[in-house]
Amino acid sequence: MSAFLASGPNLGRGGIGAWLAGLSSAGKAGVLAIEVVVMLVIWQLVVGVFGWINPVFFPPPLAIAQGFGELVSSGVLAANLPISLQAWLIGFALAVVIGIPLGLLMGSVLPVDRVVGPIAWTIYATPSIAYQPLAKAWFGFGIGPVIFLVTISAVFPILLNIAAGMRTTNTSIIRAGRVYGANRMQLYRSVYLPSTVPFLFAGLRQAVVLATIGMVVAELSGSSSGMGAVIIRAANTYQTDQAFAAIAVVVVWSVGMTQVVTLVERWVAPWTRKGR
Amino acid sequence: MASTIDQHGAEASAAPLISVRDLTVSYDIARTGDRLIAIEGVDLDVREGEFVTVLGPSGCGKTTFMNVIAGLVKPSAGQVLVDGEPVIGPGPDRAVVFQDYALLPWRTVFENVKFGLEMQRALKGAGWRERVQDAIELVGLKGFESSYPRELSGGMQQRVGLARAIVAQPRILLMDEPLGAVDALTREVMRDEIEKLIAATGKTVLFITHSIEEAILLGDRIVVFKSHPGAIKEVIETGLERPRSERSVQSDPRFLELRDHLWDALQSEATAAAVSK
Repeated sequence: MSAFLASGPNLGRGGIGAWLAGLSSAGKAGVLAIEVVVMLVIWQLVVGVFGWINPVFFPPPLAIAQGFGELVSSGVLAANLPISLQAWLIGFALAVVIGIPLGLLMGSVLPVDRVVGPIAWTIYATPSIAYQPLAKAWFGFGIGPVIFLVTISAVFPILLNIAAGMRTTNTSIIRAGRVYGANRMQLYRSVYLPSTVPFLFAGLRQAVVLATIGMVVAELSGSSSGMGAVIIRAANTYQTDQAFAAIAVVVVWSVGMTQVVTLVERWVAPWTRKGR
Repeated sequence: MASTIDQHGAEASAAPLISVRDLTVSYDIARTGDRLIAIEGVDLDVREGEFVTVLGPSGCGKTTFMNVIAGLVKPSAGQVLVDGEPVIGPGPDRAVVFQDYALLPWRTVFENVKFGLEMQRALKGAGWRERVQDAIELVGLKGFESSYPRELSGGMQQRVGLARAIVAQPRILLMDEPLGAVDALTREVMRDEIEKLIAATGKTVLFITHSIEEAILLGDRIVVFKSHPGAIKEVIETGLERPRSERSVQSDPRFLELRDHLWDALQSEATAAAVSK
């Protein structure tokens, strides 16, 4: 059976590449853990022990850990993290709710694609930080501008990926559907929609990362709360260890959410699971 | 040598199941404003239960020809009758086996075989599960019901494609170079299996190929296509006994004679095509 499992293109891997590709998932996790530990040790040695770099600008890992402890004990994390996550989750949910139907519509109705497509690409191509001052003007100083920036950052990768997925549906499969007399509704339900699913998840993974960027950008200036505000306040008062700790929390969230998307994909779309 | 090759003449007395009348298909090429003639003036009758192979070089319009019969492409002129009725679209009396298998990657083998019945809204009532299971076993995929296509070899994927077509119980099976993407060894095995399978089910088959051996081994009749524009060059009765097996037929003098004849026919076609470019 395993001889029939597709293993992806053979790119002529040899040496360490072949060894890495052949690892079990536990083995891969082990390699990653070792990589992280080695990096942290070097960092600690260079900054903390030898003092080659000023630790105020680039605090060593142990100092960051201490900074994290301070964020927790002072209640700063408990006060600000929920605010950020709330804005992130609401903004991301909005992006999904807007992006999926609009993407499906773009992918299936050519005039909609021609009208919405250029607008979508234009907004997508604009750095989200450019909308930040405007967002403040439109939505005030609360959670509003943060939600706006999260949504506007996350909606386009979802929308554009889905539209692309609809348009690139395998024509052979469409013909197979037609041969058996599938009507338009059946073709959408049984052919177009399922073949779009891998594109949806690719879009969602990009959207997670961009949503986090949007969140931090919105909170960096003019916000009194949220993880972005914690970062900028700590950095302005030279508590760089706390700033780095806050950044680390944001990164953990971002990476964690991409993993959640991947897990959901494996559950919803087991056929996309790669053999490696 | 050609004198012993019977050019196909009068039809059998019974009305043909498929009747192609002066069929022409042409496309407008938007980019250049030219008109491309894919096939021109094709006439062909196919009797019920007949296995017809369509042989021709790449780009001779044989797939277009099949697509018109399948109801996927509209003729520009002429018409196709199936059982006396003009073809205006796909229908449950015809099923297609595709060169690239056209399986749904998100469905298991069982669900893929079920696909045709599902699209035909034929899943009502009891018995369809057994039919799907029987078709899977008929093509030798028992035990792979819950595998996904990407877990299967090319030959096995085409078996799924075959089962999907058979389970819909069409009268006509249209096969578009079904073994074209399969490796050589699997190809030979599957050729024999297809021959046995079709003999057992008695279906009418139109089988498109660019392999001379395949056309002879499988066909009751061979329709040879020429290109520029695509049209029928000649129709030949193979006159070989059934059941045929790869080994017994290949030493048959009739096989060798047909092969030489078709080789010459296709070679002049290929040369003409190369010169016209």
